[in-house]
Amino acid sequence: MSQPGVMDETVKSRAGLALNDDFLRKAVKFTTERLRNGKKAASEEHGNWEEWRERGRQIRLHTIAHLDYYLNEFVNNARANGVHIHFADTSAEAASIALDIAAHKQATSVVKSKSMVSEEVHLNHVLESAGIEAIETDLGEYIIQLAGEAPSHIVIPAIHKNRYQIAELLSKEAGEVLEPDTTVLAGFVRKKLREKFLEADIGLTGCNFAIAETGSMVLFENEGNARMVSTVPKTQITLMGMERIIPSWADLEVMATLLPRSATGQKLTMYMSGITGPRRSADADGPDEMHIIIVDNGRSLQLGDPEFQELLNCIRCGACLNACPVYRHIGGHAYGGTYSGPIGAVLTPALNGNIEEWNDIASASSLCGACYEACPVKIPLHDMLVYLRRRKVEDGHGNKLETMGMKGFAAVAANSKRFALAIRLGQIGQKAVVRNNGISLKLGPLKGWNTYRVAPSLAKKSFRQQWNSLDQELNQQQHTAMDTSVRERMQQIVRDRGEGGSKHGK
Amino acid sequence: MDDIATKLKRPRQLHAPIHAFRGSPDFWNELEWDEEQRIQAFTDNFVSVGAHIARMSNMEEVAGFIGNKAHELSAKYLIRQNEQALTDLGLEEQLPNVQVSVWNSAPDVDWRARAAEADIGVVMADYATAYTGSVTVLSSPEKGRSVSLLPTVLILIIPLERLHTRLGETLNRFDEAGRAQLPAGIHFISGPSRSSDIENDLTIGVHGPGIVYGLIVG
Repeated sequence: MSQPGVMDETVKSRAGLALNDDFLRKAVKFTTERLRNGKKAASEEHGNWEEWRERGRQIRLHTIAHLDYYLNEFVNNARANGVHIHFADTSAEAASIALDIAAHKQATSVVKSKSMVSEEVHLNHVLESAGIEAIETDLGEYIIQLAGEAPSHIVIPAIHKNRYQIAELLSKEAGEVLEPDTTVLAGFVRKKLREKFLEADIGLTGCNFAIAETGSMVLFENEGNARMVSTVPKTQITLMGMERIIPSWADLEVMATLLPRSATGQKLTMYMSGITGPRRSADADGPDEMHIIIVDNGRSLQLGDPEFQELLNCIRCGACLNACPVYRHIGGHAYGGTYSGPIGAVLTPALNGNIEEWNDIASASSLCGACYEACPVKIPLHDMLVYLRRRKVEDGHGNKLETMGMKGFAAVAANSKRFALAIRLGQIGQKAVVRNNGISLKLGPLKGWNTYRVAPSLAKKSFRQQWNSLDQELNQQQHTAMDTSVRERMQQIVRDRGEGGSKHGK
Repeated sequence: MDDIATKLKRPRQLHAPIHAFRGSPDFWNELEWDEEQRIQAFTDNFVSVGAHIARMSNMEEVAGFIGNKAHELSAKYLIRQNEQALTDLGLEEQLPNVQVSVWNSAPDVDWRARAAEADIGVVMADYATAYTGSVTVLSSPEKGRSVSLLPTVLILIIPLERLHTRLGETLNRFDEAGRAQLPAGIHFISGPSRSSDIENDLTIGVHGPGIVYGLIVG
């Protein structure tokens, strides 16, 4: 489901396409509002939300900080349960392991439940080129697979399709005309996929959490397709990001409290399944053979990186997408990667380790911090976006004109005489273009801004120009002596400045 | 693993680190509802997602309820778990026109297919959680995962003493039991299979059972 060459375009042009699609914009807006309001209601009803977020964050921080221990414990326990464990450093390796298992089983079809890792790995493509049918069974994923597209939202992948488009796609598959009615369409998919579940040689799942102490893997879902995929076929393959670990079932209560509420506003998804190994020999269902492929694919690059390690705390709920004002306008495809929205803007370049190539995504954010507010495990995504932008500039991938502009500003602003002169020149120069106290000229550097907004004009008299009279006014008033502690602190700041601490914000 | 430790810039962690934030916050673990509150909360949650609830005082009533439903829905196939409490319902005798299968009660039968063709699946809850409106079922040779998944209608029988307040009361049991004691499949079921993937329009019964009854007994 890759979108080859998508990075040949900039996020601006991809967003442009999305902004022109009126239906997409409305659908994304409606869905994200619905999910966001659901989350708000659910977290308020549950109460003490901040305590739960903090607890969720602590559990994730602790696990990632000791990932070597917990991952090892998980692997040992899962093996003791009879699971075959595989490690994949890269997405290509993960795909080839899955392919090997399929070839070994002489599989002709694979039924899949939702797995973002399999999107990273482009598994459907790999399986199909080996002549193995790969069928997405999540209703939304099935629809976009038929359309040949990638998911545009972590939780609602077909957010961008309306029921007429869906009816058209499914009618083609059915060989008869299906009415654009949700019940009819879902009924057809149920029947069609039932056959596929019962025929398939392999079931492939993702993994929401992996419990280290018992070697169990946990799946959250509403449709029941993940249960199908992990119950009916003879072989189960699970693709799992290496950071999905939590220590215990007790910790799962916290994740089960945070994840469904944050994703859809539910108290719990309709199904939550904990799967501990393949079927026991006397059981009459469940897979005979179970494989878990533990995928790195750039995740371990974040370990030990003080700015990005917390990315691994993500529980993939999608709340940051629903909260993001930019995502709500441009939709998921404009981000160009497997993961969209604020988390995608940071995760995609971090996993790929190539900041240059994905640089423009980091700029598709207003840094408002709504993503952090929404995040159930408190990942500071807006700070990470700033780090990304900084790294991009440090690596020399900045905008040349912008750098020149910044240098020029630094030269002017560093010297008070030069700065005062520049302000005076500006005040005289702007007389030609100011209308109603604003500048709407769409020329040169002002074009981008002024296409949608009006730039403010320089004040007739700047603060510095008013300072002399302000100072006099203050002196005339009988004011009490400054509080000694405040005076002390300010003097300290001046002394520090003298010692070469010229950096802002330090 | 050594690689991970190197990236974390410390020697390999070989024994269990102290996990100071294990499980839910303390204030939460104190929450304990009385019986009526548990029944009320479970009922409200279950009904709010489109499932049905009935309160029964004993298993005879349960047998009667299932018999009536089978007639009402003109069920032809019914499958149940192989548990004594369900055998005692006497469904086979009560429903001569319905083919009643008992999970894994004979060798060389494709039990998945038996479950897939069934109109009704009948399952005993191992545990239930009032706060989330969830029923927990554990797999075993006598208890198929398919029985609560493949039939069109699912009937969950919940003995009142198995209905607890918090999710953690059930989850903690699995920590206490330990790896070797866990069944292959532990499933929390909170209502009918559903999806909002088409234009946010709620559809019930996408893959799993579309009609779910919870019968609280006791």
